[in-house]
Order: sequence, then structure tokens, then C-alpha cells
Amino acid sequence: MNHIRIASMALGLSALSLVSCQKDTWLNPQLTTAISDATAFDTRDRIAQQINSLYAAVKSGLYLGSRYIAYNEIRGDDYNNLRTNGVTGFQTWNHTIVASTNEVANVWGAAYSAINQANVFLDGMAAKGSTVVGSPLANQYIAEARFIRAMCYYDLLQLYARPFWDGNGSKPGLPLRLKGNKSSGNNDLARSTVAEVYNQILQDLDFAEQNLPANYADALTNTTRAHRNTAIALKVRVNLSMQRYAQVIAEANKIVSTAAPFTAATGVAHALQASIRTVFTTYTTTESIFSLPFTANNLPGTQNSLAFHFAPAPVGGSEYPLISTGIISRPEFRADDRRRTELLTVNSGNTWINKYPTGPVNTDYAPIIRYSEVLLSLAESIARTTTGVDARALALLNAVHLRSQPTAFAAGDFATNDAFRNAILMERRIELMGEGRRSPDLLRLGLPLPAKANVQAIQPSQAEYIWPIPDTELINNKLMTQN
Amino acid sequence: MKRLLFSLLAVAFGMTQALAQGRSVTGKVTDDKGAPLSGVTVTVVGRDTRALTDNSGNFSIQVAEGARSLRFTYVGFELADEALSGRSTVNVSLKPANAGLEEVVVVGYTTQKRKEATGSIASVKGAAIANLPVQSFEASLAGRAAGVQITVPNGVLNNAPVFRVRGTNSINLSSQPLIVIDGVPSFQGDVSQNSAANNPLASINPNDIESIDILKDASAAAIYGSRAANGVVMITTKRGKSGAAKVTYDVTVGQTEAFRLWDVLNAEQYMTIKNEGLANAGITNQKFNPTQDASGRTIDTRWIDYVYRRGFQQTHTLSVTGGNESTKYYMSAGYTDQEGMLKANEFNRKNIRMNIDHSANKYVTLGANFNFSNEFNRAPNTGSLPGQAFSTAGIGRIPLVTAPNVAPYNNDGSFNVNSAGLIGVMNNQTGQVGFYNPIPIIELNRFTSENNRINSNVYLQVKPVSWLTLKSLYGVDYLNTDNNSFFTPVHGDGFPRGSATSTLAKYRRWVWTNTANFEKKFGDDHSVNLLVGNEQQRTLSEGFGLNRQDISDPNYTDIQGGWLTPNPAGLFRGENYFLSNFAQLRYDFRKKYFLGANARRDEYSAFGPGNKQGDFWGVSAAWDISREGFWEKIGADKVFSSFKFRGSYGTVGNIAGIGDFVSLSLYGSGLYGALGTLAFSQAGNTNLKWETSTKTDIGVAFGILNERVQFDVTYYNNNIDGLILGVPQAPSRGIPGNSINDNVGSMYNRGFEVTVNATPIRTNNFSWTTNLNLTTNDNEVTSLVPGGAQEFVTGTSGLEVANITRVGFPIGSIYVVKTDGVNPANGRRIFVNRAGQRIQYTHVLPAGQTSRWTFLDGSTAPAVSGAEAVIFGRSTPKYFGGWDNTFRYRNFDLNVLMTYQGGFYVYNGTKAGLRDQRFWNNSTEVMTRWQKAGDVTDIPRVVFGDNVSNGSAFAQSQNVEKGDFLKLRNLTFGYTLPSKLVQKAKLNGVRAYVSGQNLAILTEYTGPDPEVSANGNGNSNQGVDRNSVANARTVLFGLRIDF
Repeated sequence: MNHIRIASMALGLSALSLVSCQKDTWLNPQLTTAISDATAFDTRDRIAQQINSLYAAVKSGLYLGSRYIAYNEIRGDDYNNLRTNGVTGFQTWNHTIVASTNEVANVWGAAYSAINQANVFLDGMAAKGSTVVGSPLANQYIAEARFIRAMCYYDLLQLYARPFWDGNGSKPGLPLRLKGNKSSGNNDLARSTVAEVYNQILQDLDFAEQNLPANYADALTNTTRAHRNTAIALKVRVNLSMQRYAQVIAEANKIVSTAAPFTAATGVAHALQASIRTVFTTYTTTESIFSLPFTANNLPGTQNSLAFHFAPAPVGGSEYPLISTGIISRPEFRADDRRRTELLTVNSGNTWINKYPTGPVNTDYAPIIRYSEVLLSLAESIARTTTGVDARALALLNAVHLRSQPTAFAAGDFATNDAFRNAILMERRIELMGEGRRSPDLLRLGLPLPAKANVQAIQPSQAEYIWPIPDTELINNKLMTQN
Repeated sequence: MKRLLFSLLAVAFGMTQALAQGRSVTGKVTDDKGAPLSGVTVTVVGRDTRALTDNSGNFSIQVAEGARSLRFTYVGFELADEALSGRSTVNVSLKPANAGLEEVVVVGYTTQKRKEATGSIASVKGAAIANLPVQSFEASLAGRAAGVQITVPNGVLNNAPVFRVRGTNSINLSSQPLIVIDGVPSFQGDVSQNSAANNPLASINPNDIESIDILKDASAAAIYGSRAANGVVMITTKRGKSGAAKVTYDVTVGQTEAFRLWDVLNAEQYMTIKNEGLANAGITNQKFNPTQDASGRTIDTRWIDYVYRRGFQQTHTLSVTGGNESTKYYMSAGYTDQEGMLKANEFNRKNIRMNIDHSANKYVTLGANFNFSNEFNRAPNTGSLPGQAFSTAGIGRIPLVTAPNVAPYNNDGSFNVNSAGLIGVMNNQTGQVGFYNPIPIIELNRFTSENNRINSNVYLQVKPVSWLTLKSLYGVDYLNTDNNSFFTPVHGDGFPRGSATSTLAKYRRWVWTNTANFEKKFGDDHSVNLLVGNEQQRTLSEGFGLNRQDISDPNYTDIQGGWLTPNPAGLFRGENYFLSNFAQLRYDFRKKYFLGANARRDEYSAFGPGNKQGDFWGVSAAWDISREGFWEKIGADKVFSSFKFRGSYGTVGNIAGIGDFVSLSLYGSGLYGALGTLAFSQAGNTNLKWETSTKTDIGVAFGILNERVQFDVTYYNNNIDGLILGVPQAPSRGIPGNSINDNVGSMYNRGFEVTVNATPIRTNNFSWTTNLNLTTNDNEVTSLVPGGAQEFVTGTSGLEVANITRVGFPIGSIYVVKTDGVNPANGRRIFVNRAGQRIQYTHVLPAGQTSRWTFLDGSTAPAVSGAEAVIFGRSTPKYFGGWDNTFRYRNFDLNVLMTYQGGFYVYNGTKAGLRDQRFWNNSTEVMTRWQKAGDVTDIPRVVFGDNVSNGSAFAQSQNVEKGDFLKLRNLTFGYTLPSKLVQKAKLNGVRAYVSGQNLAILTEYTGPDPEVSANGNGNSNQGVDRNSVANARTVLFGLRIDF
């Protein structure tokens, strides 16, 4: 009997001892696959990686990595839809978007997620990070975060708010979130006006311009991170959308020389490449002011690459070929244009954009701002603020035109200032197709979204002219209002 | 005179027998309460002699020389053998068999007689669920026990059933009960990482299960404390019984097929509708045209025939059990191979179980359970698992959407596919007539998920004194899951590059339980049982894998072949730990008054400092009024053969499905091009703690007619507080995942459970036993985020919203935009917005009209979208249950199980798709479309491209239907071969049977099966049918041989 009792006691004791020695470790496991928010700003390396993450956030396939660009293209009249697939933009193409449509929530969510990443980063820098990295690096990082934030707000305005010309920015804009969110609460925030949001964008970009470095050590970084000229180039775009042509000219002149060959005199020496094709094979030339990089290990994701949308199989998903009634039917887009001969491809009876030729592993960079856009914005703004055919505007137009066309425009080609401006707009449409500028360009000028296939035109007065605010925002933000 | 005659006959009979051999034995047979039993068969063991008891329970039988014992058999009672030992009078009291009240039930770490149980516990015998055409045991529990709701959400093999005990008890965590197999909590849910559903509960061969006890109320379940809110299911596997080795072989073979499939348009009808749609849309450059096949016939393809098949299945279980007084064993080997009704859907299990118990001496007992199983699951993309509803490659959807006027093969024999990766259009003049050709994706794609699992435990039990039992149990559950998927580059989702993903997930759990059980009777009146225990459970999980894209050569079919990109896949790592102490006290006074109390303190690693610990408890009492003196005095005993009141109250917790590191705010790493990133990735909440469920349970159980009819009526009320919700954040806040977990919500489940067990007929040759159970459920969400949104919607596959959870309504209510038919004047769908305005829609703007949306008078109206949705009704059943009947006639037996659910709606999203006016094929009801002014129909004018009028763009009320159903779930007809015949073959018994599953459905639901859920086990998005594959119908032939 005794040995039984001893055995029982031993059993009990061993159980207790096991409990006591390992209990605390097992009850408080150390996470080995993530970093605690308490220590995220503790080292310079972690902060440097957070800066990278801000660019990665806007690079999301739902946003600038592909879909935002694709949606702004297919809202226009240059593409056909082969798949009628609601998951890959059919409703955007078809103008049957409603508040519950996926892309409405996805683009909104991805852009605001990037905004919050920037805000959380700015808060963390203020609390600790600036001390850790020291000046002037702290201000550079802050400037990069504010650049990202400005870009996100600008992009959101182009889809979710009425254009600036409508009431001179007095229409409802966006909830302007400028503080980081890491915990619950603070859901309700009313929309600022379009003008107020633009004002914040310009403030952020002014700060960025003043605090970003003039350039980085290598071409890759010059293209994939914001430097001073990147902020200026974005300000050109922002002011153009606000139809503030004088400001466009003022900003653009900072990075465009007065006469051809046009280059940026300070900072990164932006200039057009001899062949436009180069820009889409060598991603880090000085023409690419800002692009988002992809690598075989850092892919855009399924159905999320630009090639998926615009390239035929096997490179892409055979989703959106150019429609026969769109840009490819225009006489201005001449047969010998190198943008036609080198940047289009024909496959199974359809014509496709060939700006994203790499695949089926789609590693082409997403082009966000190119120097030719700056030149054409400047040309357009000069044309809009002068009469007749301004010589410098014509030179700017020809700079873009001539590298892809053998024949230059002459002043005499344009009977009126109107005709000249239209030529600049047409050049812009040809030059930037597949890069997401089509819908913003139509909207900023109050032009209808033209008809295509069996889809009718959308007039600027129609609700479908812009996207609705997603249901999820309306439900959870009680101060939010629908478009 | 009669008596005299009887005596004379008896004497004459007796004399002849006496002349032959032996003597006469008489006696009386009664039940356990002393009431006489008539018609009991009395046989002399080893001889042919038999007799029956008369109305007073008396019998008389001639017993041959050398006969040693009598056997008493009676339907509904346990068989009894009584040694003669030279007696001439043998009186016997028979125990009721399976009669419920005498059963033993497993109550956590101990067992208890059902009669003495104070908690609410439902039990199902293993025999009831053995040899059914399912993959995991719980799929067979539907309708078998009150309070237990099982919904098999689709017809894909080994998909995890929706398992609910007394309603949906959580919103964001799991509502599945905790499942404990021989003392070790099991892994649950779908562990597959691809289209091949993989429910790990299928590791247990249902034939190995002895009993299933479901602890439903707080007093019973509190012993599992923080994991008990959804109920606890205790699985006990078979153990050895002493005696000569008994070998049993079970085999079933059968076939399974689909039924009640949709009727879709044939080629001619399709072209009529689509061309009419083109004309109505004013589209002149497209046309749908017939194509001739190689033999010149016009192509008219029934796509269903290319996707469904008649699947064959076979199951074998060989078991041996036996032992002596000290050592007992049960060993079994099982093999099942099942083909689904869908092509390329397979389930295969091989398992070996060994259970052994050994009493080393008077004090020490030890034993072990060992189960190894290998389960191989294969399925195509069925479009039926959660998240797949809108998959264009879902083969449940393909036959519904693909044009019937094209064929799977071109006339040259090649696959009909085009260079854009879609099914070819043949002669149709249009861009698209379907998504994918199902043949290549069924034949060339491959999705498998395979488990290798060891589920084992050892125990040592020491009984130093008679009133004390010390037990230590150590159990492990090691589950390795291999997931492989291959997408062909030829066609389908993998076109044109191909891809392969292989992942390995490892789940390792150990449990160590130490208990001390004190059991003592004080005097004659007081019985006390106290259990105290300590338990630890640690679970480690990790996974890794590879995703490769871009196949180098079309001959490769595996991840090991040549590919251009390697990327990581399936990376995860987690760990959690429970440290628990618990106690259970039971007391009764003269088996008349019963008291019980359970308490458990759990510490759990996932919660933040200060919130790791939770206390859970339950108390209960019961009163067996039939043992009171006054019961007989008032004559109640003449009506009621038993009568017990029971009540319990307590608080238990829920934690199932919560992340291991949920309390922490985290930054995660990623890439920006070639550079590393670090980004805010999880908004944690250190204040998070258990969801708590406060349960009240009041019941009465009584029997009449000598327990021939037994009733159990129970009222339950679960008040759930502190529901962990992902509190939705305004997307503009940019919080990762747009939500933060918090203990904010509350909800209740209330209702009644009624169980009737009866034996309406019991004669020597014929008996009928029946179990009828009914559970009602009243569910209401009583609070969500304080000060926040008082509702949230839950989508189907992230694309469509048809469910809302709103305070004051049942969880996941159906939420759709109301419609009001079709305007007979112009054939446009009429929508009703929240303001009650009737607004009609035209997909193509007629000249002069500026908006697609107009009031009925033609003036411009505001657009209608999902934002105009309103609550339509419940998505979960308000009542459910089953009716189980067993008939026996001589050697024949017939079991009929019917299950029913009612009081809920199903959003038939499949119907929306089947009326869509893109190229999609339609259901035949579209032939009744509006064509001219005055037509009264629910099908609008067909306009090609219209995805709004029929419910594709947002969910609409014309597609909501009542889900109420009554299913003939299972019917088994068996025949036991006569023992004479069997013995000649040197066997102990042979039973042959045929069994049918899902033979009939009575329902008004127009889809194939109202018992589907496109969202699987989701709490707040039940009741959605979106391209889901319905449950199959299976017919089996089975044989059981006892050696």
C-alpha cells in the first residue's frame, strides 16, 4: 500500500513541478514573426524599412500597382472588355458601378490604408523616430510620408469627388485624416470640401519639395522614391486638375528648361529618352520621375498587374484590348507613330497596349509620373493662358511628338488656339495611354466619358461621372455623405 | 374452465417433454421496477426449447438434462442469461436497453448515470452513426438529438458540417462545439489550404465510436470552462470487453449521385433568349448561332453531364475486441474510398485504432488509445466552399453559366478553348459564351489535401483507497496536412502559365490531465463525488510551402517540375497554451435530491497581461419526485413511471478561432521591390478577453407506461456577453483589415427542446421504437459596438451582401433590396427603395430618357443599389429536429430517419445568376419572360448585358425563398440471417442491409437543396445559396459479419 501512495504523490508532484517551471514562458509566448509596435521606431533600420513600406502601400495591386491605373483607363473610350468579369473591372468599364461594387471599396480602402500608414509613421516620428534617426534624415522621411499622403488624397479626389471646376472646389471632397489610427474610435469624420483637400495636398507637397533630397545615390532610388523633383512633378499634376494653369507653369518651370532639349536643371536631371520604348524596358531612366518597382519575388499578385489588364495571354489576362472605335481609330495616331509600331501589339484579332510586355511573370514597373506628362501639362497650361500658338508650348509638344513621329507640328497646322490645345490633348492621350491618365484628364476638363461598344456616354451631370462612396464608409462613418 | 383447459394442455405438453427428457422450470419476469413483462422469450441456452411469458410475466419451460442456463430476450430490454444451478424457480428482472435513463453519460473527466445527471446532456450511440455514407461522424448527427443542429452546407466530400448546439452562439469566433476525443480536444474546421475540403474530424472512423455525449448547459459544460460556450461533444471510442475475442467485419458498397438539379435552357431556347436580348439592347453586331458537331447535328450540350457522375464508394472495417478480467483490448482497421457525385472529388481514409486497458493489480490500472489515420481528400474547384461562390472555374457553376450551343470539344477532337483562355464561342458572333471549358480543368487541374494524424493517449490510474481514484492522462494529437494544387497552363485559372502550390501544415498538441476523484457514501443517504484536476494543453502550429508559376514544359504536373518563379506560400507559425484547474462536486440525498457544481479556471496565452485568466462555473440541481413518499400516495406513480425536475445555471466561455497573438499590436515585414519593409499590420487589443455565455436550463423528464414513452422538455436560455467583434472601422481610418477586435456584442439564444422516446409497439415479432425531437431557437443580437454601428453586413465570397447582423434581429438576417415584380406595361423590374418608392430599371436607355432609373410615371428616379436593402427574415432555422424510427419484424429491421428545419429563408443567389442577361445560360423559367405590354410575369424583358434586373449587381427579394424542409435523411433496411444458417458457416452473425441517404426532400425551395451554405460554417452569413453544389443522394449495400 505504501508504495502506491508514494507513487501517487510522486505523480502529483511531478505534475506541479512541470507547471511551475514552464508556465510563464508558455503563457507569454514571444512572437518571432513580427515586430511589436512598442519597438517599431527603436532603430534606424526599422524606420528606414517603414519608409519603404509607405511606397509598398501605394504599390498595392488594388491601387497604383495596377488597378487604380486600369480603372482610370477603362472608364474612358479606348478599351473593349472581353470578359464581362465583375472582379476585373467590368462594372467600371460598363458604368454600372454602385456603392457596393467591389472596386469602389477596394480602391478607397487601399488608398486610405496608405494614408494611415503615412499618418502612423508621422506620429511615430514625432514621438520617437526623429530622435532616433536625427536630422536631416528625419525631415526627409517626414517629407516622403507627406508626399505619399498627398498622392493618395489626390488620387482619391479623381474618382470619389466632383472635379475642382464644379463649384470651384466647393463640392464635398474627402474625410481628411491627418492623424494615425492604431486603435478603435474616431470613425466619424465629415468630408472636407474638394478645395480643402487640394489645399492639404499642396501643403504636403510644398513641405516635401522643401525637405526631400535633390537626388539619391542611384537611378533605381531616383525612380522609386520621392525626391524634390518628384514633389514638383506631382504639384504640376495637382494644379492642372485644379485648372490653375499659372501655377502649373510656375511649378513645371522648376524642372523644365526654357528651350529644347527640355531637362530638369536641378536635382535629378529628368529628360525624355530617345525612344519611348526604352522607358518601358529600362524602368529607371531619368524620364521615369516616379515608378513603382516589381520583381519576381515581389509580384503584383493574381489579376493585379498592369499586364494582366492590358496584355493578351500568355503575358496578361486578355482583359482589355484597345477598342476599334477608340484611340487606335484616330487619324492623329498615325500609322508610322512609334507608339503604334512599337508599343502596340496585335493578338487574336485584337490590338493591345504593349507598354507592359513582361510576362507571364509580370515584373514591369508601374509608371506613375513620366517627364513627358510634365512637358505636356506645361504645354497645355501655356496654351491655355496664351492666344494662338505659343512657341514654347509648341516646342514642348514637339519634344514629345517628334521622338515618336518623323514630322514635327508647325504653328501653321493649328488654325486656332482651340485646335492647338486639342492637339496637345490628343498627344497626351496617345503618349500616356495605359498609364491611368484618361479618366482624370476627361474629368478635369468636364468632358463626357465617351460612348463605346454598347455602353452609352456619361455626361458630366450624371451621377456615374464619378464613383460613389463605398457602402462600408457610409455605414461606419456617420458623418459621411454619398456622392 | 379456461384455466382447467390450460392446465391440462400444460400437463400434456409437460408430460411429453418429461418423457423425452428433463424437468420443468417456472418463474416470473419483471422490469427493473417490478412490473411484470409479458411476451418475453425464454430459451434454454444451447437448445431449441423456448417459451413466452404470459400477461402476469410468468413462464414455464422444460429444461433438458445438462442445460445450464436460461436466456431471456425482450425488445427494448437488455438480454439476460440466468444460471439454473439446479433451481426450479427462476425469477428475473430485466434492465431496459438503450432506454436512456439507465445509460451512463460522459460528463467531462468522469462518467455518471444518466438517471443521476443534473446537467443537460444529449447522447447518441455509436451504432446509430456507424456505416453511413459520410466522411466524418458529426455529419450523421442531424436530427438525432435535441438541441443539436447539423447542416451539411454542400455536396463536396468531407466539407465540415455546420455544427451548432442550441443556436449560433458567437458572431466572430467559432460557433462549433468543442470536440473532445477520449479526453483530448481535437483539431476542427477545414484544415485544407485549397479546394479539397479537409475536415480533420474525419480521422475518426465512425465505426470506432462507442458513444457521443453532448454537454449542452452550463452545469455540464463548465468543466471545459473557457471553451464550453458552444457546448462540448465528448467522443468515446470503443474499448475492449472481457470474453473470447470477437471479430467483426463491416463492409458497405454504394453509389452517390446528384438530384434535383437545375433545369437550364437548351441550345435552341438559349439562342432565342439571348438573341432577343441583343435585339432589345439594340446590339446588331453580335448574334448567337447554332454550330453543327462532326456528325452534322446541332450542338446542344448538357453541361451537367460533364461535371456530375455516379460515384462509387466502399468502406471496410475489421475489428477485434476481447480480453480477460485484467486486460481488455479493442483493435480495428478501417478503409474507405469514396467518389463524390462531382468528377475528381474523392475521399479516402485508412486508419488503425488500438485501445487497451490493463489492471496491473487491485490498485493500478493503465491503458492507452492509439489511432493513426491517413485521409486523402481530392476535389476540383467546386465553387461551393467558403470564398469560392463566384469562382468562374467553380464546376458547380460552370454547367449553369455556359452556353448550351457550344460543345466541350471541337469537331477535330481538341478542347474547345480559345487563345484568351476561355471556352470557344464556335459559331456564336459574340466575345464570350462561358468562362471555362470544364473538361480540361477537371481532368488537368488537381487539388488535394492529405492528413497524416496520430491521435493517442496513455493513462495511469491509481486507486490507493476505495474512495479515491488518481488519474493521469497524457495525450497527443499530431496532425500533418499536405496540400497540393496544380493549375494546368492549358486552360482555366492556370491559363496560360500554369501554377502549383504545395504547403505542409503541422499542428502539434499535447494535453496532460491529472485528476483526483473522491467518491464516498455517507450512511445510506448521502453520496458525494468530488473531482479536482489540473490540465495543461499546448498547441504548436506552423506551415510553409511553395508557390511556383510559369511552367517550363507542358508535361510537368507537379511542383517539383520546372517552373520559372518560386514564391513562399502557406507560411504561418503559432502557439498557444492553456493552464487550467477545475473541480466538480456531485451530491445526492437518497437518489432523490441531486446537486452538482462545476468550476474551472483557465489561463490562456493569447490574451494580454491581466486578462489571461478566466473563471467559469455552473451549478445544478435535480429532484426525482417519483421517489418521494407522497408520489405513490397521490397515485402519480400509476401515470408516471419516472419524473424528474432539473435546473442549472452558470457561465462559460468561448475562445474558439481567436488568433494566438490577437492582443498584440504588430508591425509586419514585406518587400518594396528588392527592399525590406516594415508596416503597421495588426491593431491588437490588450483588453481582449473571453466571450462569456451565461446559460440557464430548466427541464423536466418523465416516463409513462413503464417508460415505454419518455418525455424530456427543456427550456434553455444562453445570454452571451462580451462577444469579440472585429469592430468595423470606417475604411477611411486605414486600419489594417478595417476592424479591431473588442468584447462588445451581446446576443441570446432561447428556446425549448422536446424529446419523445417511445416504443409504441412491442410484440415478440414486431417492434417499433421511435425518437422525435424538436428544438426551437429564438436568436437575437442585443448589442453590437456601443456608440458605433448597430449593424454590419457580411458578404458572400467578398462580392455580394445578402446578410446583415443588426441589433434587435437574429444574427445574419437575410438582407436584400425589395422588388415588386415586373411592370406589365414595359417589362422592367420594379424596385422598392427604403422610402417605399417604386422605381423601375431599364438597362438600355431609350431615346429621350436620361436615367436608367425611373418612377413608374417615367420621371427620373434616384438609382437603386444595395444601399436600399432591408431585412427580409432569419437565415438560421427557428425550429429543427428529427424523427428517428426503428422497426423490427422477426429478422428484418428498418430504420427511417427524417430531419427537418424550418422558419428560415434562403437567399437563392444561384437563381439570380440563372436569370442574368449576359451571355450566361438561364433557367428554363426565363422562357416566361416579359415580351409585350400586358404580359404578367416575374421575368423582366430580356436585355442583353442586363446584370441588374435579376439580382447579379445586388441581392434582391425575388430571389429569397423559404428554406423549410423535411428530408428523408436516412433509410436502412436490414435482414439478420437466422442463427442456424449462420452457425453452419461457422459464423456468429450476419446482417445484410441497404441504406439510402437523402432519398427525398419535401420543400418549397426551388433550388436543388435548401440545406446549403455558400459561406460554409460562417456565423453571420448563413442561408446563402450561390452556385453551391447540393447534397448528394447515396445508396449503400452493407454487410456485417460477426465471426
